[in-house]
Amino acid sequence: MPAEPGKEAPSVEKTVKIRVSRFDPATDEASRYDTYKVPVVHGMSVMDVLDYIYENLDGTLAYYDHAACNQGICKRCLIQINGETGLMCQTRVTGDVTLDPLPRFDVVKDLVTAKGGTSDA
Amino acid sequence: MRTIQTDVLVVGGGGAGFRAAIGAREKDASAVLVSKGPLARSGASPMAGADLTCHGLGMRRAGFFGEPRDSEEKFFSDIVHQGCFLNDQRLVEIYVHDGPDRLLETLAWGCKPRFCDERAIFTSGTGIMDAHLREAKRLGVELLEDVAVLELTTDDGAVTGAIGLDIRSGELLAFECKAAVLATGGWHKGYTPVTGSKELTGDGVAMAYRAGAELGNMEFVTFACNIPVWPPVWRGSIITYVMGIMCGGTLENADRERFLEKYDPETVAIAQRTEWNKSFFSNVAAQEIRAGKGSPHGGVYYVVGDEPWEAFEARAMSSYPGWQFKGGDFSEMAQMFRDGEGVEVAGAAEYFEGGVCIDEECATNILGLYAAGECAISLFGANRVAAATMEMLVTGAIAGRAAGDYAGKASVPAPDSKQVATLVEKIEAPLKRGSGEPPSRLRAKLQKDSQEKLGPVRVEAELTGFLGFLAEAQSAQLPELAVQSKSRCYNKEWIECLELENLLQVIELSARAALERTESRGVHYREDFPDVDNDGWLKEIILTAGESEPCVAHREVKVTSLKPPTGVIPHFEMVKEMMLAHSDVGGHH
Repeated sequence: MPAEPGKEAPSVEKTVKIRVSRFDPATDEASRYDTYKVPVVHGMSVMDVLDYIYENLDGTLAYYDHAACNQGICKRCLIQINGETGLMCQTRVTGDVTLDPLPRFDVVKDLVTAKGGTSDA
Repeated sequence: MRTIQTDVLVVGGGGAGFRAAIGAREKDASAVLVSKGPLARSGASPMAGADLTCHGLGMRRAGFFGEPRDSEEKFFSDIVHQGCFLNDQRLVEIYVHDGPDRLLETLAWGCKPRFCDERAIFTSGTGIMDAHLREAKRLGVELLEDVAVLELTTDDGAVTGAIGLDIRSGELLAFECKAAVLATGGWHKGYTPVTGSKELTGDGVAMAYRAGAELGNMEFVTFACNIPVWPPVWRGSIITYVMGIMCGGTLENADRERFLEKYDPETVAIAQRTEWNKSFFSNVAAQEIRAGKGSPHGGVYYVVGDEPWEAFEARAMSSYPGWQFKGGDFSEMAQMFRDGEGVEVAGAAEYFEGGVCIDEECATNILGLYAAGECAISLFGANRVAAATMEMLVTGAIAGRAAGDYAGKASVPAPDSKQVATLVEKIEAPLKRGSGEPPSRLRAKLQKDSQEKLGPVRVEAELTGFLGFLAEAQSAQLPELAVQSKSRCYNKEWIECLELENLLQVIELSARAALERTESRGVHYREDFPDVDNDGWLKEIILTAGESEPCVAHREVKVTSLKPPTGVIPHFEMVKEMMLAHSDVGGHH
């Protein structure tokens, strides 16, 4: 059914729990999880959810976005999403999620790993 | 603080930066390239569609069908008309002349074309970047990634080095160089939505300005048209932009009125099949939104139109097999079109014509400082239609070679330690401040206001109000921003505080120039001055740092062979005249 122009498209808003692995090598012995409650609308990515947390709930959270393309091109925002490798910017959030840094890479902070260039050259 | 010495410091990890580093090595200078993001995946370059433009004879030289009727003169004429005669014609001549060489070497270094037309190959931004990364590695360019260069050091009007921040560790780096090339791209992050990646914060333009460089044409911003604003995961994708050219479709406002039909059909038709679409469709969509006829999330609706869906989808499949595009899955979009729905789209900041003033050697007015690619003043003048990817390669090569030549001869003192200490103190200030507002709120407000008040349509009252906000933000809010974590490792709030200084600075200069230019031209459209004034405004607005306020000057456009028009005419009439002046050569450019 076509969306009626001029009106808010029907989007189910619900609150989900985002469990994020936290680790700062400067101060922490081991990683831990922090859990945030985030209101999500249809078509929000993991990156959008993390932006919400960073901007509204916790400015200390680190995830690789300072140079993220947000379009699935640079591939630098790969993390573990519910145990599976995925791009933060292209993976949609529909329910509760657990986020971990990529395994087998040194953790710079929280979800940021010291993974090098992702180009083919 | 770790010190890194090099002959040529290249700031920026997009195509202009890589080509400049290669150029410096071609002159036997040592080169360090500093990329703010991932290697060869940083800046706007990897996100480009991407076309690489070149005149039709150059295309034939490179082995494509090209266009035997084409010539350097015709391509030159088309670019100057598209730029509404605000181009530096010397730089356009260089672009037209050097294009074939840049195309040939890019192919030789391994970039694969997907298809071509008379004046361009179509490949991918990542393909162009990988080719240049391979060549830079082969020539021994030292490559740093996730490092932001924040300030230049100078001595008696000559560059001596720079200060950088290793974003992962939080360590500051002291660069000592004989010459520096700025290739930092635009300031997309000052807007939303955008088609460039998030590290594009005008760093090079702002630090050059602080060091005394001249900036020009700052009022001109190209907005890619038909960019999704909703849902969030599609925001900023160029899928519907490309679809507009490849497949057709049309635009509707909130009343489901097909508003393109209000404009001259010939102008609409030319815009639909060429990159004139950016300036024209972004402008008319913004006019609908400003008239209160926008969609819920600040756009208009991109719809398939009257064409049968099957025919539309068949064409779409050649560009988006399985509705996959770049890294995204757009099958939900296909379903929306199939159901007769529209996608909410708007103009999105894509290319900044303004930047650091350069001469034919890409030299700035600061000795040893060069600028290339999008952070330099654009050779495309008031409106870009031909490819910025080729601009980055042409100016990158020139800047790198000129910097390499200069570094071979120059005797440059080490950076002044007092100057370095002052800059370090400034960089670390947000980290050391006790409490204050986080930077993200100010950044979000800036992005929203830039889009509304310094977008495709401008007007005096809004620009004046916006400048008031920018002055207050810089004098009162910026010095009070604080970060919640004092850890130096990947501290997002610290990075944002440093970026905000640059964003606020360049956007203030852009808004000042937009207020100063009391006419419409190219991508700068003033609702209160809707005519193009060829008698009074064939001038560049040049900005330099003053004691308290920026100094504003006017400079005549540099003309070589194509005499600018005279007279005052309505904006869209000028657009149509410029479109119709195109030479008898096919292709999208």
